[in-house]
Amino acid sequence: MSDFVYFFTFQDSSIAFVVIGIILLGVGSAYVGTYSFLDKKALLGDAISHAVLPGICLGFILAGTKNPIYIVSGAFFSGALATFLSSWLRKNTRLSEDAIIASILSIFFGFGIVLLTVIQKSGNPEMAGLNQFIFGNAIAILEEDLWIYGGLAVFIILTLTAFQKEFSLLVFNAEYGSAIGYPMGLIRLVFNVLMILSVIIGIQAIGVVLMAALLITPGAAARFWTDKLSYLVILAGVFSAVSGVLGTYISFVLPQMPTGPWVVVFLSLVALISFLFAPKRGVISRYISRRSYLKRTHQDHLLKALYRAGEKDKTNLSIEEIYETYPFQKKESNQSIKYLTKEGFIIQNQSLITLTSKGKSESKRIVRLHRLWELYLNEYMNIAPDHVHDSAEKLEHILTPELEQLLESRLNYPKLDPHQETIPRDNDEL
Amino acid sequence: MINHVESPILEIHDLTVSYDQSPVLWNVDLSLPSGKLIGILGPNGAGKSTLIKAIMGLVAPSGGYVKLFDKTLEEVRSRISYVPQRESVDWNFPASVLDVVMMGTYGKLGLFKRPGKKEREIAMECLEKVGMQGFAKRQISELSGGQQQRVFIGRSLAQNADLYLMDEPFAGVDMATESAIFELLQQMTSEGKTVVVVHHDIYSAVNYFDWFIMLNLHLVASGPKEAVMTEDLLRKTYGGKLNLLTKVSELIRQKEFNPLKN
Repeated sequence: MSDFVYFFTFQDSSIAFVVIGIILLGVGSAYVGTYSFLDKKALLGDAISHAVLPGICLGFILAGTKNPIYIVSGAFFSGALATFLSSWLRKNTRLSEDAIIASILSIFFGFGIVLLTVIQKSGNPEMAGLNQFIFGNAIAILEEDLWIYGGLAVFIILTLTAFQKEFSLLVFNAEYGSAIGYPMGLIRLVFNVLMILSVIIGIQAIGVVLMAALLITPGAAARFWTDKLSYLVILAGVFSAVSGVLGTYISFVLPQMPTGPWVVVFLSLVALISFLFAPKRGVISRYISRRSYLKRTHQDHLLKALYRAGEKDKTNLSIEEIYETYPFQKKESNQSIKYLTKEGFIIQNQSLITLTSKGKSESKRIVRLHRLWELYLNEYMNIAPDHVHDSAEKLEHILTPELEQLLESRLNYPKLDPHQETIPRDNDEL
Repeated sequence: MINHVESPILEIHDLTVSYDQSPVLWNVDLSLPSGKLIGILGPNGAGKSTLIKAIMGLVAPSGGYVKLFDKTLEEVRSRISYVPQRESVDWNFPASVLDVVMMGTYGKLGLFKRPGKKEREIAMECLEKVGMQGFAKRQISELSGGQQQRVFIGRSLAQNADLYLMDEPFAGVDMATESAIFELLQQMTSEGKTVVVVHHDIYSAVNYFDWFIMLNLHLVASGPKEAVMTEDLLRKTYGGKLNLLTKVSELIRQKEFNPLKN
């Protein structure tokens, strides 16, 4: 607990620096990543993040120390080479995109590991901590590193904001962009540079292996919550920053813990929550809306049963008769009766159930939609009368008043359905 | 049957286009009058979209050139508006109808500047012209095929161009939308604009267009309706690909280089 207070009150200025750094880097990479996610280029980010490793090692070999300028330049160089190679191969060979991405990722990363081993064998005392570039260690970031990584993150955020319109055009409809005379090739190049930079700012804190998760997961998770690009970008930034800070906290409390994997754990948690709980797109809200739809259909069917009883001059149904109509659905039937009584569609007198006038008009509406649809299928789509019931049984719950009106006028306000049953109108006697 | 015109709005000179070395358009040479509603007809894979893309500079020709208003494309780009195929974009992109139509103003706006009130007003006007003003705030993922098509046409109207090149604006559109779009195109030509439309249905085409370009890897015909709507030319357009031409394409594809490239 005292660790928690110590960390989050930022008494230690180095912690404050790390937190600011991780927030900037999270927001920057989530921002770029959201665009590349929308552009369906998620794998490219993964390839780039693995491909910067040989550059980092070369930078280290040249500098002889963990000089951030050398390391960043090396990483940028090998990231750029990987990006260029992947687009060159796509243009000039018949290899498919996934094959190209997979080979570039593994070749560069493999080469990087070879270099890393060479450095470790060399016995350079400075090499301690070079391993951190694989899984990241935010706490080990020094203030001078932060100026570079933080500065780059700010640069990414500003550039993306300034060219928001151009990057949206690039992702949505690049061809149209060229047609109106925008230099789409150049815009793509700038975007790729931002993508490489966003990987680089994370190599110290998150590590090359997991940086792709920080690029893609925030945008993918945020997509569950919103359809607006501006909200999407902000939400992705927030998800990323929060996970970043939490991951850093863990590696602060447990010094042996690398930061990257923990950031990814928190990000995955956010993604899981979005997947489950987001309104409209989330699994649970889809489940709930399906449940309530099924409830609706059961209520509709109950009203219909009462209406059909009325057609046979029977003004009510007993609960037992209802149970018999829907065997194995006793619980649902009880729920429907309870709900329909509460809403004033039916009246329950001991075990007898009668439609109210409100219930009569609603039941007529459902039966009318059912029979209109049957007639439409029969007349316009030439479907035999004994084949139309199932479809009508499903569609009666969702046909809108506009469609009802359209059906009525197309069929010229018909009296009978294909089974010679009356299509009820509101002012008909029941 | 290729009718050339005096002072054409669009002149295509010996244009040849290849994809991955296979020529998909051979020596197209034609000129178009202004103020007309022009249909590009041809079977699947005849090179109709490619012709439009080549005019817009979206694919590099392996030979020949295009002149618009007697100038190069770069000089007159703002006077030309392009409507890509509806399927060429991902409609799940998080944007509103207004956002997309506003892209039509980006050409005049230029790089770096953000669209403001003026651009919004232009976009709203254009949405009204295509009958979508009530949908301005709607997400594009919620639109039907016909509505998507209207949004794309609205976007091109926002460019306020003189020459419109539309790739299959009637594809996947219901009858009511089709006639609404057609009326709009007619109105545009009556205002002196030239509209070139890639179209797939010959039966409706006869009623829609004043001038036809008939393609089948090569130019079969280009001329006014009365002159080119003949059984003979239609048979040449739709009666299968030229056997020999396809064989030559195949031969070129198997070479290590493209001999047609200049």
